[in-house]
Amino acid sequence: MTEQRQFGESDHEPLAADDILSEAIGQWREEMPAADLWAGVATRLEPRTAPRRTQVSFTLPQLAMAASLLIAVASGLTWLAARQPSSAVEAQPTVVAQSESTGEVEGGIVNANFADAQFNAAVTDLEQILHDERDRLDPRTVLVIERNLKTIDLAIQEARMALNDDPANAYLNSHLADARRRKLDLLRHATTLASAGGN
Amino acid sequence: MLVDDVVLATQGDAAAFERVYRAHMPRIFNLARRMAGPDAADELTQDVFVRAWQKLALFRGESSFATWLHRLAVNVIIERFRTLGTARERFLADSEAVLEVAHARRTKHLDLSMDLQVAIEQLPHGARTVFVLHDVEGYKHEEIGDILGVSAGTSKSQLHRARQTLRGLLRKEA
Repeated sequence: MTEQRQFGESDHEPLAADDILSEAIGQWREEMPAADLWAGVATRLEPRTAPRRTQVSFTLPQLAMAASLLIAVASGLTWLAARQPSSAVEAQPTVVAQSESTGEVEGGIVNANFADAQFNAAVTDLEQILHDERDRLDPRTVLVIERNLKTIDLAIQEARMALNDDPANAYLNSHLADARRRKLDLLRHATTLASAGGN
Repeated sequence: MLVDDVVLATQGDAAAFERVYRAHMPRIFNLARRMAGPDAADELTQDVFVRAWQKLALFRGESSFATWLHRLAVNVIIERFRTLGTARERFLADSEAVLEVAHARRTKHLDLSMDLQVAIEQLPHGARTVFVLHDVEGYKHEEIGDILGVSAGTSKSQLHRARQTLRGLLRKEA
């Protein structure tokens, strides 16, 4: 076997333009399969279910206890606040007012903010764009988007209801933040798709 | 739009995944044909897309979907080589001996494209993989080393031998 290198060749550099291999690669035609291969793929695709949401349920005594605790804590905070000068009260950090959009984690808990104005404004804007442009989308695509939005909205609603009783619950906060992110992502994709004419 | 089809496919939409398949199939098919030969290309292409469906949830968008799919395809094809009896440690070692034989089989062909297809099929899997990934697909030796589990130096050595052998096979006899 010829081991002598061609002049100027370096094996870890691109081939020279006048190399017979460059010419051969340039002429190496793209081909298509003789038959459509999709059927053989489709039959092997296992249905993928959406990620299962963990059901959060509480017994009546648990809810009653949580409500009592919440009332007690709220009363205590109100009493403390009433005893402090107003300027001091204003300076207190709000425990659950972290912006989830920044993904801030404090003590392992992602705090969800129920009244995140930025989130609501973004959702409103994107929903308006989607509403205006939806005629440009394939109806089947619209159906898929709406179905997914409903699922996400339901998850957000459930998380909010559960957080009403357990505002410091790390899982619920994380779940809500995740659901809201997914809603924004889906709306962004949908509006991009609609703006591009559904192509 | 393809990006959105990827998102929908990730959520289990098979129709969207078919559109993704239609868009990317030609490149994957030709990668499989070049790396494994025409006889294995159909089945490997299907295997790649079945694997992609299974792994879609792992696609995080850090690279383009095409890049992610291409890398996944390379892995599927190499796995096939290995399950065909080419043990990992022998994957490249065998190339040395086979390259000697391949170099001796000079044949006369009518066009370079056909020549290259025929010539490359005479290379052992390891040398063929390195040549296709480096010279055709544009991978770096470090990346090839990562994929094959060998050093970049081994990849360079294999490329040198593969190039020399292919040149010998392609060069038309006077």
